[in-house]
Amino acid sequence: MLEIEGLTTRSGGFNLRDIYLSIGQGQCHAVLGPSGSGKSTLLNAVLGTLPVLSGRLRLAGEDITHLAVEHRRLGYVPQQLGLFPHLSVADNLAYSARARRLPPGEFRPLLDRLVEITAIGHLLGRLPATLSGGERQRVALVRALAAAPRMVLLDEPFTALNESLRRELWWLVKDLQKEHGLTVMIVTHDLSEAYFLADDITVLIDGIQEQSGDKTTVYHRPATVAVARFLGLKNMFPARTTQAGNVDCPALGGHLKVKESDVNRGDAWLVIRAEHVALRAPDAPPQTGEARFTGHFETVLDLGESAVLNFRIDSGVQLEVRCGSRVLRKYGLKAGDAGQVGLPASDLFVIPSSPANP
Amino acid sequence: MGLKHTSIVAALAVLALYGGLIAALAWFFDVTSFTQAVSSERTLFSVRLSLLAATVSTFFALLLAIPAAYALSRFRFPGREAVDTVLEFPIIVSPAALGAIILIFFNNPLGEWVQANVINFVFAFAGIVLAQFITILGVAVRMLKTAFDEVPVELETVARTLGASHRHAFFSVTLPLAKNGLIAAFILTWAKAIGEFGATLMVAGSMAMRTETLPIAIFMRLSSADIEGTVALILVLSGIGLTALFIARRQLSRAVHA
Repeated sequence: MLEIEGLTTRSGGFNLRDIYLSIGQGQCHAVLGPSGSGKSTLLNAVLGTLPVLSGRLRLAGEDITHLAVEHRRLGYVPQQLGLFPHLSVADNLAYSARARRLPPGEFRPLLDRLVEITAIGHLLGRLPATLSGGERQRVALVRALAAAPRMVLLDEPFTALNESLRRELWWLVKDLQKEHGLTVMIVTHDLSEAYFLADDITVLIDGIQEQSGDKTTVYHRPATVAVARFLGLKNMFPARTTQAGNVDCPALGGHLKVKESDVNRGDAWLVIRAEHVALRAPDAPPQTGEARFTGHFETVLDLGESAVLNFRIDSGVQLEVRCGSRVLRKYGLKAGDAGQVGLPASDLFVIPSSPANP
Repeated sequence: MGLKHTSIVAALAVLALYGGLIAALAWFFDVTSFTQAVSSERTLFSVRLSLLAATVSTFFALLLAIPAAYALSRFRFPGREAVDTVLEFPIIVSPAALGAIILIFFNNPLGEWVQANVINFVFAFAGIVLAQFITILGVAVRMLKTAFDEVPVELETVARTLGASHRHAFFSVTLPLAKNGLIAAFILTWAKAIGEFGATLMVAGSMAMRTETLPIAIFMRLSSADIEGTVALILVLSGIGLTALFIARRQLSRAVHA
């Protein structure tokens, strides 16, 4: 549906370079990155409010690189939602139809259906200023969809909401996407939002497209150190790959096995997600392909649903461990306790060193 | 005395200064003279002339100022900084100098051609309008730019994604949302035009029953030592100006709370 080919654009002094993306019909693609990474710049270039300096944008096969905003037929829900404060909800929803001079028969059925799905019928006579946060989100979504866009762009629209309302609206977007076969591009800094809504994820950092791919790959196999750090991975250690499946990591005591190694021999980073570090009872028998380390827990933090532990290996290296709160209670762990952890080979992976991953 | 009290005293001193000056007029206020002065044919002519000229000049000023202010608020273009700077030109040079510049222009070949072939400005009603127009244009643009700055660009972007042309987005979203600011800008520039003196005197002169606006009438009455008549006209001008300010403040307050 949307093809971004080598897009370069500039906003003020910020440069976004060489972006390649492909979003299929009915897919949701999340553009993920920290503040100032260029997410909104990319979205504005797709919208048409920023000029494309080089590269090409294609929407449903049509070259829209230099097409005016109003001719792109893109739905847009900005962070502040952009509801017109001087118009009632009904007039906000009918704005597109009036701007395009559509007869009621052409837009009413879709609009009525959307109003019904989102349960905002009772709000039609009200002004946006009188609506709650969740109601405003629904109205903004319906207004964007009522224009029958070829694709919808969401610019962190759920940032200001509380957790339960956010999840409720995520489900609403999912349902709308499913029912109307919507193609969606969402810009967010929230990994859980991206993971919930998207099929594919692109990670942007400092204007560079660090990684694009299906969400599982991006989450479990970050391609660069910058992506791994953005995703919050702490357990990264300098290493050297010696042959397929073998890694020499002095910080973790020498040779370790990894299940997969598509990395050429050379310098790399050995990585494991905190939730993949296994807590082991002192008398637990060794498991095949698992490196076992003894040490002590420096901090134990129960977060309610889950727990975060800092484990200091006897050699002095620190590992972050995440587990469910029930596991924490099962072992009765507290700060200062001695313990044992295992690093399963199947969960260890390497990120090759390069000028971008020093 | 702490900062709070010092600053409040300073604020009240401003009120006392202007209030005291207006109150001082009472020394020469006489009901009979006031009634005679404000009901005279000459004063009524000045009031009508001032209201008409200020309305026409403000209309033309806004006609140019609205798109110019919108451009300054929304777009980056070559010369933008220069335009932004020149808005203060009428404030930097005195109104008399501004009037002199206009007069000198009409003594240049281009100005003479305009005078001969388009419209006669010097010592004419059109000259009053032009002098006021030049004086208030910069202020009008500055105030309107502030009104447009208050409307988030994002709303126009959303309107355009909904299929509105840039022009339609401006008229259906930006302009209605800037409405109160625009009305306030209209009233304040109109009030400034009503009180314009220096440039008008230079371009249109001070001809009784012809180019005698209210400020010029005040000047002429004072020149002929008619203090009571001067006071009467000052009160009329102040009444018009203060009413305009009152309305403008209400509009601005609505704009802020809208």
